[in-house]
Parts: sequence; C-alpha cells; structure tokens
Amino acid sequence: MTMTASIPMRGRGATPRPAGLGAPIVTAKGLSKTFKLGGSDVVALRDVDLEIRKGEFIAFVGPSGCGKSTFLNMVAGLLPASGGVAHVNGQPVTEPSRQVGFMFQTPVLLPWRTVEKNVLMPAEVFGLKEADIRDKARAVIDAVGLGAFVDAYPRQLSGGMQQRVALARVLTYEPDVLLMDEPFGALDEFTREAMNLELMRITQAAGITVLFVTHNITEAVFMSDRVVVMTPRPGKVSGIVDIDLERPRTIDTMQKQSFSDLIFKVRGILGNTHGDH
Amino acid sequence: MAITDSAPPALAARDPERAERLRYRLYSLAIVAVIIAAWEIAPRAGLVSPIILPAFSQVAAALWSLVQTDFFLRHFSVTLTEILVGFVLGTAIGLMLGTALAVWPTAKRIAYPFVVGFQAIPKIVFAPLFIAWFGFGQSSKVVMAVVISFFPVLINTMVGLESVPDDARKLMRSLKATPMQTFRKVSLPHALPVIFAGVKAALTFAVIGAIVGEFVGASEGLGYLVELYNHQLRIDRVFAVVVVLAFIGAGGYFLLEWLDRKLIFWRSDDNR
Repeated sequence: MTMTASIPMRGRGATPRPAGLGAPIVTAKGLSKTFKLGGSDVVALRDVDLEIRKGEFIAFVGPSGCGKSTFLNMVAGLLPASGGVAHVNGQPVTEPSRQVGFMFQTPVLLPWRTVEKNVLMPAEVFGLKEADIRDKARAVIDAVGLGAFVDAYPRQLSGGMQQRVALARVLTYEPDVLLMDEPFGALDEFTREAMNLELMRITQAAGITVLFVTHNITEAVFMSDRVVVMTPRPGKVSGIVDIDLERPRTIDTMQKQSFSDLIFKVRGILGNTHGDH
Repeated sequence: MAITDSAPPALAARDPERAERLRYRLYSLAIVAVIIAAWEIAPRAGLVSPIILPAFSQVAAALWSLVQTDFFLRHFSVTLTEILVGFVLGTAIGLMLGTALAVWPTAKRIAYPFVVGFQAIPKIVFAPLFIAWFGFGQSSKVVMAVVISFFPVLINTMVGLESVPDDARKLMRSLKATPMQTFRKVSLPHALPVIFAGVKAALTFAVIGAIVGEFVGASEGLGYLVELYNHQLRIDRVFAVVVVLAFIGAGGYFLLEWLDRKLIFWRSDDNR
C-alpha cells in the first residue's frame, strides 16, 4: 500500500500503512487564509495541499502562528477559506457538518448539566430522541472510563475527567472525522499520556479519522500515522514525517530508538526553517 | 453548596464549616444585641432626646400596636403592591431590553448611548413629574419603581449574555445549532447568575422607587405614613414604619437569595 500526499516528502518516500486505511476522506487543495490586520494582509496559512485517508491519525505540529489551528477551523467549516478548498467525504466544506466533530483545548462543558446530559447535548441540537441515543451515550461514557460518573456535575471532576467527557460528547454522535485543537494542552504530563493511549485505542477501534493539533512533538509522534510539520510567517507546511512505529503502541514504544529518531526528524524540519525569517 | 472543588466532598470537612458559620452568626447576633442595648439606654439616660430617638422598647410597642390596626394593614398592602408590581414590571422590561441589546448588535449600537445617558440621570427627579402625569394614586409610584429598577436587570442581562465563552459559541456552531438553541441551551443559563444579581438589585431599587414616589405626593402607603408621623413628631411610629420597610426589603432579598441558590445550583460559592 502506498500513501498519497500531494506534498513533496522530505526524506522518506512511500511507507507501509496500517491495514484498514481507506479512501481519502479529508483533502485540502491550495487551502489558504489571509487575515486583515490594520489595513494590511497577514498570511495565516499559505497553499496547503493534503490528502488524509479514512482511519488515519494525523498530527499537526508547529509553533504558534504556523496556521495549524486555522487549518483545522477551515476543515471544520468554522472559518471560510481565503483561497483553495477543503473536501470532507467528497463534499466541499462550506459550513460545519455532523460528519466532523470538534474538540477544543478547554472541555467546554455546561456546568448545569450532568456528565450524561452534557454528552447528550449534541443529540438534542440534532433533534434526535434521547431514548434512541441514550444507550450509545452510556456505552461511550463507559469507554472513556467515566461509567461511575454519569450523574456527576463537571465541577466535581478533574481536568482530565472533564476532557474525557468532552471526548465522549463528540464520539457519541459518531463523526467520521475528529478535529482536535490541542485537546490535552492544559493537562499534566501523566494525564496527557493516559489520554493519548485512550484516544488511540478508542479512535482506532471506531475507525475514526483524527486530525490532531498540538505543539507537543512527543505526543504527535506517539499517536500518529503521519506528522505534518508547520512553520510560521507565513503559516505553511514544511514537511510531513511518516511514523512507521508498529501498533498497538504502548508506553514502551517511547523507549525505542526509532521513536527518538522520529522526534529528532520532526525537530530537524522545525529547526531548518528557523533560518527562513 | 456542600460540594467544593474537583474531588467529591469530604464528609469530615462539613462539620468545621458548620461550626464556623455558627460562630459568625453569633458574632452578628452579638452586634445586634449591643446596638439594641445602646438604643434602649441612650434615650433613657438622657444622652439623646426621646423626640429625636425614642427608646427601642417604645418603638417596639408602637410597632406592636400599629401592626394590629386595619388602618396600618391598608397602607402596608398599598406599598407592598406598588413594590411588587414595579419590581415585576421593571425586571420584565430589563430582561427584554437586555436580551434585545445582547442578541441584536444593531439595536445595541443605536440604543446603548441612550441607555447609558438615561442611567446617568438621577431618576428621583422624575417623581414630581410622574405624579403630574399619572396622578396621586398607586400608578405613579409603580412607574417610579419600574424606572429605577429595570436598569440593573437590563445591564446584567446584556453583560451576562455577552460573556458566553468563545469556545462554547464555537462548539454550538460546530454542531450547527440554531441561534435559538444556542440561546436556550448555552447563553441564557450561562448568564443566569449575572442576571440574578441584577434582579436582586432591582428589588432594592423598587422599594426606593415606591417610597420616594409616596414622599413626593400620596394619600396612602408606608412612605406617606412616615411623612405623616414625622410631621406629628410621632418619631416612635416613624421608626416602627421604617422597621416594617426594612423587613419588606430584607425579606424579599432573602427570598431571591434562596431562589438563586435553588435555581443556580452549579455556581460555586467563591463567585457568588
């Protein structure tokens, strides 16, 4: 199997993909974003071409201002593109869609709702009957390890648990694509590791395609099939690194030489571009 | 609220909390006792003239005889009605205008300078005007109460609705929620604690509005009684009416406070 990406690869060519990867599900062609700032144009993202296959886990890393969140927001249909186009499931993105779930750095839970009611909130917005989705919601809450907390209120939960609720909320309506904007950025290192493992396990089992924005290189390499390295001024893709570590990955994976090599490689691409400005 | 931080509340933590609350309640009671004692002793010892400050027991006796008369009950219900109608109307108007300004940016741009300008006017000056417009009866007092009390509700409703976190709005957008769904499920509950603070202020203001209206021109009501007894130099009765008014204000406030705790159960104690 060969992976297709219209971006020129740095270093490595085609790599074996994990079994089960399907057709392209998210594509970007010449995707650009320009903001007006005090009369002058600021290029937040320039000409991103990318093809992401069904079931792939892709991380976007880079310093602030590299356009990784902007890219995610455009794929989500939350931000109009200034140029180019993004497709999800073959449809051009013009507005948010139920096929695409979004997770933020903050859990954004409603403090007056219990865990279960928070998880059911999207279903209410979609106009689904609570009875039809309740079993699904319970199963997902169990899967993220919060089965004992269905009736708890958000402020009774720790930060990591709150982010699990946010994960359960988005997984319950079964999106094909999950967009995550630094979802574990506010968590401590131990909680982050646990969440990384669980996120991999759950999304792989469900076959969900994940686009994961982070500025933590270790986290990106640990979870992904590919790491898209981005650099600022103007925001652009500087390289894509294939992560050919075998799955399932565990904490032991981080001990491997190949793991360190990959981190070094990502850093290398980030470092090379510092001379550009 | 018993539930505190991230962890489930420790049962052991409750009892010291309760003991501490009890201690502070005792301090408050002690202060009240000292004030009452001074109030009783000062006029009796000749430190102040009883015409200026009648002894506490005299006021209590005046209050006791007053509340047993039908005459007093009539004045009491007149003022209570003015306060309640003014408060309810003021709150309703404040809620509607505040919501309109928050959800409709054009309305805010046009109307907000007028709203702020209006608030800068000391509205008590309207009292004689309202008497001229709406007569000596209850309606002029209700209007006064409405005009003073709607503003804190308006401002707090607007600010509360506008302070919804960006991520929460974004979440609702990502779900393609309608503006009405976002309003009902996110914005309104989020704004409720702030709105409630405005509603509590509105009640206090409604009491002021009704009394000021009665001071300026009325033939019934508790404000009218205060004026009347003051002219008659029945200072003990003046104080008795003031005590009744204090009870109306405090009673309403604690009722709202209780409702607040019931309704906004998720609010933590530290941002109350």
